[in-house]
Amino acid sequence: MTESPLVRMTGIGKRFGGVHACRDIDLTVRAGEVHALLGENGAGKSTLINILSGVITEYDGTIEVEGQPVSFGGPAGAQRAGIATIHQELDLVAGLSIAENMFLGREPRTRVGTVDLRRMRRQATDHLRTLGADLDPRRLVGSLRVGEQQLVEIGRALSLDARVLIMDEPTAALADAEVERLFATIAELRRAGVGIVYISHRMAEIEVVADRVTVLRNGSVAGSVDPKTASRDDIIQLMVGRSVDALYGEGRNEPGDVLLDVRGLAVTPRRPTPGRTEPAGVDLTVRSGEIVGLAGLMGAGRTELLETLFGAGASGPRDGQVTIDGRRYRPHGPRSALARGVAFVPEDRRGAGLMLEHSVTDNVVLSALSSLTTLGLVRRQAVKQTVAGQLRALAVKAASPAVAAATLSGGNQQKVVFAKQLLTRPRLLLLDEPTRGVDIGAKAEIYRLLHQLADTGMAILLASSELPELLSLCDRVVVLHRGRTVAALPRASATQQAILAAANGDDAKEAR
Amino acid sequence: MNPPSPTAVAEAPPETPPRRRPIRLPRDRHAIVDSFFRFQSLFGLVAVFVIAIAVSPVRNGENVFLSSGNLANIVRAVSEIGIIAVGMTFVILIGGIDLSVGAVLGLAAVGSATLMVDSGMGILPTVLIVLFIGAAFGATQGAIVARLGIQSFIVTLAGLQAARGIARMWSGGLGIPIAYGDGPQEAPEAFSMLSGSINGILPVPALLFLAIGVGALLVLRSTAFARHVYAIGGNEKAARLSGVPVRRIRITVFAISGLLAALAGIIHAGQLNQGSPNDGAGYELDAIAAVVIGGTSLAGGSGSMGGTIAGALLLGILNNILALNNIDANVQLVVKGLVIVAAAALQKLRPRIA
Amino acid sequence: MRYTRRAATVLALAALVATSACSVEDDPGKSSDASAKCGSGKEFLIGMSQANNAEPYRQVMNDDVSNAAKSVPGFRVVVSDAAQDNSKQVADVENFLSQGINLLIISPNEAKPLTAVVKKAYDQGIPVIVLDRKVEGDAYTAFIGGDNVAIGRAAGEYYAKTLLPQGGKVVEISGLPGSTPAAERAQGFREGIASNPKIEIVASQTAEWLREKGQSVMDAMLKANPQIDAVYAHNDPMAEGAYLAAKAAGKETAIKFTGIDALPVPSGGIKAVEQGRLQATFQYPTGGREAIDMAKKILVDCAKDVPKTTTLGTMQITKDNAAQTYTTLGGKQ
Repeated sequence: MTESPLVRMTGIGKRFGGVHACRDIDLTVRAGEVHALLGENGAGKSTLINILSGVITEYDGTIEVEGQPVSFGGPAGAQRAGIATIHQELDLVAGLSIAENMFLGREPRTRVGTVDLRRMRRQATDHLRTLGADLDPRRLVGSLRVGEQQLVEIGRALSLDARVLIMDEPTAALADAEVERLFATIAELRRAGVGIVYISHRMAEIEVVADRVTVLRNGSVAGSVDPKTASRDDIIQLMVGRSVDALYGEGRNEPGDVLLDVRGLAVTPRRPTPGRTEPAGVDLTVRSGEIVGLAGLMGAGRTELLETLFGAGASGPRDGQVTIDGRRYRPHGPRSALARGVAFVPEDRRGAGLMLEHSVTDNVVLSALSSLTTLGLVRRQAVKQTVAGQLRALAVKAASPAVAAATLSGGNQQKVVFAKQLLTRPRLLLLDEPTRGVDIGAKAEIYRLLHQLADTGMAILLASSELPELLSLCDRVVVLHRGRTVAALPRASATQQAILAAANGDDAKEAR
Repeated sequence: MNPPSPTAVAEAPPETPPRRRPIRLPRDRHAIVDSFFRFQSLFGLVAVFVIAIAVSPVRNGENVFLSSGNLANIVRAVSEIGIIAVGMTFVILIGGIDLSVGAVLGLAAVGSATLMVDSGMGILPTVLIVLFIGAAFGATQGAIVARLGIQSFIVTLAGLQAARGIARMWSGGLGIPIAYGDGPQEAPEAFSMLSGSINGILPVPALLFLAIGVGALLVLRSTAFARHVYAIGGNEKAARLSGVPVRRIRITVFAISGLLAALAGIIHAGQLNQGSPNDGAGYELDAIAAVVIGGTSLAGGSGSMGGTIAGALLLGILNNILALNNIDANVQLVVKGLVIVAAAALQKLRPRIA
Repeated sequence: MRYTRRAATVLALAALVATSACSVEDDPGKSSDASAKCGSGKEFLIGMSQANNAEPYRQVMNDDVSNAAKSVPGFRVVVSDAAQDNSKQVADVENFLSQGINLLIISPNEAKPLTAVVKKAYDQGIPVIVLDRKVEGDAYTAFIGGDNVAIGRAAGEYYAKTLLPQGGKVVEISGLPGSTPAAERAQGFREGIASNPKIEIVASQTAEWLREKGQSVMDAMLKANPQIDAVYAHNDPMAEGAYLAAKAAGKETAIKFTGIDALPVPSGGIKAVEQGRLQATFQYPTGGREAIDMAKKILVDCAKDVPKTTTLGTMQITKDNAAQTYTTLGGKQ
């Protein structure tokens, strides 16, 4: 570590209009280290990353790569300098194969100038193997799940022989097994002398993977700490500027009667989609006032189960029995699910949860329009009051209800989706990764909200890849493996090890 | 980088005393910019109107463009395209397109002529049957789009062919002339009202267009149906998961488009005293142009009916003033193309509400 | 910055519309007075409403009208194109009326839909000359058109006396089925060849007026009929298409080709005759010059009576007179 660092950013500043997104930030990345970058949404991480990756070309301050001052004309320039980025919003072409995506724009050629498909596929397979992913490089990226797509992104960065790798929430969509593999890969890269800028909201990961942590707050560096010595609370305090006592909240009340009862649910899809795992024998119950977690590896069928329960899953004959309040429940679609008091917050907030270009108001009232109309005419005043009330209740931070949903931060977007679903006054709330891509402050607020809702007697079924989240939030954790229920662990006996063991298909403990 | 703006749309926030209401300032400024784009086509309409007055020939001291006869001609000339464009707006708002409207117009024109002349039907049953045919044709296309998930471009392209084919079979390939009178092979005299005017000033087709336009405008402003239409165009998946009856809305929207195309076809037959299977060829493109000039995004989810009405009128005025000044027909086409591109470019520049 | 650019775009657009309009704007007031006042030394605005500029025949008609009008002092012609749309043609005529034209020349897209607007013009006291296709009723000043039966008959007589005096096998390539010109050109031809019983029509197929269809139809007929002496096509493009098919089969010298229309344009039948591909073609006159002649009589010479119907004759074009006719008809080299 005696030579100059791989990257040295000095006095970086950037203003958007009158707002300082970054102010006088210093950051170094050394060869063979993982430098974690932390901060709430809006703290300036994305801006800093965009400057380093060449997306933003006008800024104050200097960047040196291996001691040489550089200025990138664009992302391509940064790539040439050996800086590769894995963005949180994946930059993949759905209609192309894995291999084509990985080598997009720099396809290997044969001697006659055509694309050397065989070499491309072989190299793609190699890179994916390094990540421990066994995917056919000929598969279309559009048929992959989000987590698998992210692996493809990482594979692409690897194929660039990057010396500096920027990872923006690389594990946000990964299940734990994949996270383990990613960390192994990161260790490999680190040994090879690659410098990594690692951005994540997950404190546990930072402790495992990072050599250094820099915390940003309001566009400036709030502090730099060594994760081996600093406590989690110290870091959180640096991030939010105040101490956070109870992230998850405590105090559970007694659950009520059984609301949702699922027995032997299995769906035979009429048109099977590659990459989807339909329910193939699911048993679970959710009582009113209870929060039940849904755990499992990627591809275990958590999302598919929630979609099926909301009437939005694959069509096809189904076995088993589902009841709500003891009455048969088989929704034809989201409409009939909503009519039975079932609401759903999907995983893909941008793709399936929101109309990004439409106003917050339009988004919030969409599901509950029928209660806000007279003879088909929308009652404007009622809409205005309802939306204002919902936004206040959920503490949504928006300049006004008229702004486009796209302008909100991830956490506030998620709250808008919540607000929309809660307006339908559901009795059963289905949540798919509700805190994905949400900063830590908003996370805490969402946890608080879930507790409040459960206290009012709502039944909540929550799928998450974050085990700590499941363990601390849920009264019970149901574990899925290949579309089947393999365990139902009450809070007392649910541990990280127990869940992982069950999720990996080890001897399932039936503890219903 | 920042030369002074001639129109100073954005540069002129209202002079609010900054101390009393400091937060309002940026929002007002934003509101002005936003409303400029929201009513872009209206501004465009006014601009073209003013230009038309300025460049119009003057005859006997009278501005030819402004003469009441000429203005009535303009609205009548755009009424069929305008009515189709109203239906097209709904379709485009859900992110679809309806290429069949011109052919449905032809089918409806043939239907009107055949039912009255050959089958000896009265006006009311004829109109009802023809409107039903149009709505059913549209609904069928909508059902195919919604059920089979085929893009509306393809479904309505097929529908265009089918409607033309049906119209040719029904008419035997030739235009069916409409003669008026009480005898056999004659249509009721009252049908010719469609080529007449009210008080000799407002042409009946123009009145129908404006009435339908205003009606659709109100529907789009204040109904739950309209919110659902916008939602589907904004994010179909999110709309479906939010409980919007996506299929039903989609079918309804295409039915509306077919119904209005059929109405335009009835008007067409009434104005020209003939129903020909080739009527309305290419009208779908003019209607789409009117919608686009009106600021509705072809991606769906954003746009307004007022824009479409203004867009249709703008096209009409443009056609008229170019003709009054004897601009070469080929140059006219180029000018129209430029106007469409300019309108679309303006939409691209519209800032996202932030 | 964005707003500025936006504003500039609006202005540029406005300027475009304004300048393109202004640059051609006439001196208003000149053509101000109503149509009734005829006489020499005056200015007259003539509206020429064309059904479809995309057809070469109609483009030539427009050119004939415009060129003929140039030689009449005081005549100014404005041309509109309805692009095959009846509604558009109605609007075109109405725009002419707004402009205050002194005389209307119209080549209607279809008869029935345009009858009303022609009558409207006529009732306002504007002389109306209808070209090529008629309108219904008699609310117009004059009709000028060709006689397709006579053209067909002329072609038939040419076959009987000059082209195939010894007789022979003829195939006919006809125009769009159901269209009046196709029926009349077929009928006239049969009348014309009746004097020579040794001429036999061995096949008759439609190529819908189109050159490419003429080629494919001829391909098929060559296979079906081992011996063909001549091809009678209802227009020049179909004759040219048939010629191409025969050439591909190596039979272009053995077979004689004739067409109809004889447009004085580089792609027209006169050039094809001059260059030896067609044996003959028969002119289908546009009536454009004749219309302007009549307009001159009405407006300048104050003629009270003009013939209600003028039927134009045809002209036989063979290698002998092709080059000269091309020039006479004002063809572009």
